[in-house]
Amino acid sequence: MSIEIRNISKSFGDFRALKDVSFKVDTGELVALLGPSGSGKTSLLRIIAGIEVPDGNDGGILIHDEDTTSISFRDRRVGFVFQHYALFRHMTIFENVAFGLRVRPRRLRPSEKIIREKVNELLKLVQLDWLGDRLPSQLSGGQRQRIALARALAVEPNVLLLDEPFGSLDAKVRKELRQWLRRFHDELKITSVFVTHDQEEALEVADRVVLMNEGRVEQVGTPEEVYHHPANAFVYNFLGNVNLFHSRVEEGKVFLGELPIDLPAESTRDAKSALVFVRPHLLEIEHQRNGGDNFHAKVTHINAAGPLVKVDLVTDWGAAVHVEISHGRYASLGLKREDEVFVRPKERRVFVEAQSGKEDSTHP
Amino acid sequence: MSEPRWVRAILIGLALLFLGIFLLVPLIVVFTEAFKKGAEVYLESIREPDAVAAIRLTLIAAGIAVPLNLVFGVAAAWAIAKFQFPGKSFLITLIDLPFSVSPVISGLVYILLFGLQGWLGPWLAEHEIKIIFAVPGIVLATIFVTFPFVARELIPLMQAQGSEEEEAARTLGAGGWQTFWRVTLPNIKWGLLYGVILCNARAMGEFGAVSVVSGHIRGATNTIPLHAEILYNEYNSAAAFAMASLLTILTLVTIALKALIDWKSQVEVREVGEIRERALAEA
Repeated sequence: MSIEIRNISKSFGDFRALKDVSFKVDTGELVALLGPSGSGKTSLLRIIAGIEVPDGNDGGILIHDEDTTSISFRDRRVGFVFQHYALFRHMTIFENVAFGLRVRPRRLRPSEKIIREKVNELLKLVQLDWLGDRLPSQLSGGQRQRIALARALAVEPNVLLLDEPFGSLDAKVRKELRQWLRRFHDELKITSVFVTHDQEEALEVADRVVLMNEGRVEQVGTPEEVYHHPANAFVYNFLGNVNLFHSRVEEGKVFLGELPIDLPAESTRDAKSALVFVRPHLLEIEHQRNGGDNFHAKVTHINAAGPLVKVDLVTDWGAAVHVEISHGRYASLGLKREDEVFVRPKERRVFVEAQSGKEDSTHP
Repeated sequence: MSEPRWVRAILIGLALLFLGIFLLVPLIVVFTEAFKKGAEVYLESIREPDAVAAIRLTLIAAGIAVPLNLVFGVAAAWAIAKFQFPGKSFLITLIDLPFSVSPVISGLVYILLFGLQGWLGPWLAEHEIKIIFAVPGIVLATIFVTFPFVARELIPLMQAQGSEEEEAARTLGAGGWQTFWRVTLPNIKWGLLYGVILCNARAMGEFGAVSVVSGHIRGATNTIPLHAEILYNEYNSAAAFAMASLLTILTLVTIALKALIDWKSQVEVREVGEIRERALAEA
């Protein structure tokens, strides 16, 4: 079942949480809504579920090409997994999972025997069938999360929505559970949307990522697309560590110290300043000014504990630069604090700040 | 635990002395005075027709006021805790009003409203409806003074629990009533019972407001507290204390139930605490 989000806007008082959001989730896809807190991603998820109602009448949510605006919760068949699980605290795990079946109208309600079979089957699916008679308070966070998932699946939803599914778990459980979710999704192939503020989580688990910022969709694409071809400065900045240089534009070029960088061809002529982004692992440290496509800097700090060596430098114009190099390269350079070196960007992205404040972009 | 032993002994002793003088001794006095002339006189004063009428009226007033305030309290707490709407803080203030107004004033308000010289008095007299100095007035006054108990007990509890479980129930296909009966009510049952018990204790023990609207007609508009006062003023102290002992027994039962509920709901409170902590850690 596909989900189509069409021109959705939502305000809470004066705060505009969503501004004309549209995109489509294809059947069987696992899509991540990724963005910083306050970007509107949870509001959007709640609107898809029907918990919140969007503003105005010109937008809508289509599930399987059918407008859901006037469809009740019961017929919408949306499974929703809450960030804090929202398990019914006074019911056993078994009754929690059975809830969606028990509240069906009498003529649609399965018999007690079928409910029992179905719940046990779901508990086995999330590998917690031995916890049926416990109360939610007796379970760990990761177990509660999986029960919440089983409960949502009991009603055989057309789509599955997960709000920060791993947000309240510790780092190790979170990693295990997101790989589990990916395998789980591959087995069930149910169209799913999950909200996260963790870019690593989104890039690792999702088929496609919808990047959101300040109530707007910034980019939609596969993890590879959004990571390697970010549509704008926000996306580049949000996905992974980055060095950011604010630079003045002079004669159609932007300067990193003495290093000139071409402006994107299609960029506005009257641009006055630009943002240059370079990821830490795409900067090379050299002792000589080979050819001059580099700029001068001084080493301020070295952290060699970890898979990569992290080197902090400061440029002649006072900007801090963060570089990651391999241990082999670090050894061959024989780098020490206070060393005077040259830094060469192997790849960079330039986003022009036009006078309107809007940003243009291009590839290197 | 750094205080010397004698300081601790004095402090604990003082506390016990206070408790004894202000709580325990009066309790003992009530029962000794009631049984002063023997158990027979005690039973006689309770079985006497005016006393039976007073007991019946008290049960009627509480029997009407408590269920009404239960329904109202749950509805108000539900609205306040789970929804945002204009005038919400005004509603909260309004619910608290009976707590902040002297009960005698609440009684007087009803006299001014429904009394013969009151706003609605002439119209009521015309239709031969008697509210003041009759049972309806007593019931109304009781409802008024016990208005806040249930709502006040539930609002903080429901606010702490949030509405995620209700939202979950709705996404699972439950209707409004199903959500209320299966999710909301079980979650608040101990708090609700606690509120009802307090409400009932006050409804049965209320003196001021009821006294103003009652008219003290023996056998007709006297509740237990009013009857006790009349008997006492007639120097019939054994009978007066027999009446008082009934209310005292109610108090003891209330305390016992409250202790039981506190113990039962500890789990619930602990869970709410956990949720709060998580929310705080999140923020």
